[in-house]
Amino acid sequence: MNRIIAVAENTFRESIRDKVLYVLLFFAATTILGSKVLGWISIGQDVKIIKDICLASMSVFGALIAIFVGASLVYKEIDKKTLYTILAQPLYRYEFVLGKYLGLLGILGVSIIVMTAVSSVYLRLMGGAIELIWFEAVLLIYWKLVLITGFAILMSAIVSPIMGAIIVFCLYVLGHATEVLKNLPPQFDGTFSKQILEVMYFVVPNLNTFNLQSEAANSVSVAGAYVGFALLYGLAWTATFLILACMAFEGKDV
Amino acid sequence: MNSIVTQSLGKTFKSLGKPSVHSLVDLNLTIEENEVFGFLGRNGAGKTTTIKLLTGLIKPTSGTASLFGVDTRSPEARKMVGYLPEQPYFYEYLTPKETIEFYGRLRGLSTGERKETWDRISELLDLRDISDRRIRGFSKGMRQRVGFAVALVGDPPLLILDEPMSGLDPLGRRMIRELILRLRDDGKTIFFSSHVLSDVEEICGRVGILVSGKLAACDRITTLVGNVPKSVEVCATGLTDADCESLGDVVLQCQVRKEGGHRIVVKDVESANTIAMKINQMGGTLISMDPAQESLEDFFTRIQDVSNITIPTDKVAASIAAAEE
Repeated sequence: MNRIIAVAENTFRESIRDKVLYVLLFFAATTILGSKVLGWISIGQDVKIIKDICLASMSVFGALIAIFVGASLVYKEIDKKTLYTILAQPLYRYEFVLGKYLGLLGILGVSIIVMTAVSSVYLRLMGGAIELIWFEAVLLIYWKLVLITGFAILMSAIVSPIMGAIIVFCLYVLGHATEVLKNLPPQFDGTFSKQILEVMYFVVPNLNTFNLQSEAANSVSVAGAYVGFALLYGLAWTATFLILACMAFEGKDV
Repeated sequence: MNSIVTQSLGKTFKSLGKPSVHSLVDLNLTIEENEVFGFLGRNGAGKTTTIKLLTGLIKPTSGTASLFGVDTRSPEARKMVGYLPEQPYFYEYLTPKETIEFYGRLRGLSTGERKETWDRISELLDLRDISDRRIRGFSKGMRQRVGFAVALVGDPPLLILDEPMSGLDPLGRRMIRELILRLRDDGKTIFFSSHVLSDVEEICGRVGILVSGKLAACDRITTLVGNVPKSVEVCATGLTDADCESLGDVVLQCQVRKEGGHRIVVKDVESANTIAMKINQMGGTLISMDPAQESLEDFFTRIQDVSNITIPTDKVAASIAAAEE
């Protein structure tokens, strides 16, 4: 466990010095603060719009951090050859993969905390109320990022960072459109495409499960059981991705 | 106990649409404890592949390798080895002190042990002056020192060094040479690859030479090159150029010496004796007769040309016993 923590801390330190992180956080903060503009357009709906945009920003920019940093996490170590001296130490490869993963989760956690803090203060200044559902929505956004990061690290162990980022981005888009995959228009009936898309419905995680934006924006509470289900659902997918990532990395020649 | 044992170790790289590359074929090698072993070969001969197999970075396609009796695929084996890659790369944003701290944690050292490790290694490698500078701005020599320091974390009994002198200036090379000898005196086993044959001759007990992925020779340097005089140089006075020409086919080279007389090179001692008699018969005077020993470089060059390589049995036990006598 100590070795996993050592790798995680080092990954955290590495990522905190990554310029990409700050660029994304800057844009996230700008979007959050700029949400007032859209609030003006929707008369009487300022707080609702601000909440909506704040949560959307956390989701999108968090995902961008997970995709761009996560997809290069392992590959970069191979490419820069820093991996040679690390894997020559008495550690299991899965410890390295998990360490990298946890390090990035740490960065994402800090990013989400910063964005939540900025959003919450801004929301209060705009006269909005901060309710439990607001934090539940943030928690599930983070949980979605936990899942996406798991997939990103799997890709990082298999393909190049650019290819990995594209694939993870596709998963992100498809994951938000799983309902479309299930309810295809009638013209798809009997086609090969339909079969493919139906299979994809089952092999792509439904990322909408983690979406409580609308509820948070409208201050509608959800049952605790739903949040619990979403957490378990994310955990199952994440564990699957991490197991596959560890297996892929175990047999890899570096 | 043997530090390294490989049995029929082989590695083949396969990639889609390309022919398989047999980087290493049937390597049988035994390295005793407290030995300095030089691993030689041209670029692409399979040295780095072997080292990666020994350090668990890649997995063999055939055969086995063990360090102190533990399979190299196990992390337990890596507790006993310190590794210096050909071009050591570390996290650029870390300082040498932070780097040693990080690797100490990967090796499971306690806080006290890590501090003791830093004190010991920084003094040995003279890292104190650069302890708080980021590696980003380091020269090749400084990076090599940090690389060596990382290899020494955890005080492993075996050091595997891939081209430790590559790219270093003469002082840097000398420092590494002296360090290797010092570590040998401390009881460590050192397995290193190098292209600098003069350094290998100076510090290695035994060498192994890889040619196209196969072990073409493995023995003490003196055994490999010592008993084969490359040529014999005969110096004589009182001869004319015509006399030299009449000495026959055994003469490889005949030159007039600045000091007077002739320098005649023949291929072996037997030919030299024949020449000496002829010089006497011609009325000349024999001044000297010196056999020129084959150097490791000569042997290395010669063995590359051998097309049908017979993989020799590792003679470690016999050669070490002979040395002890």
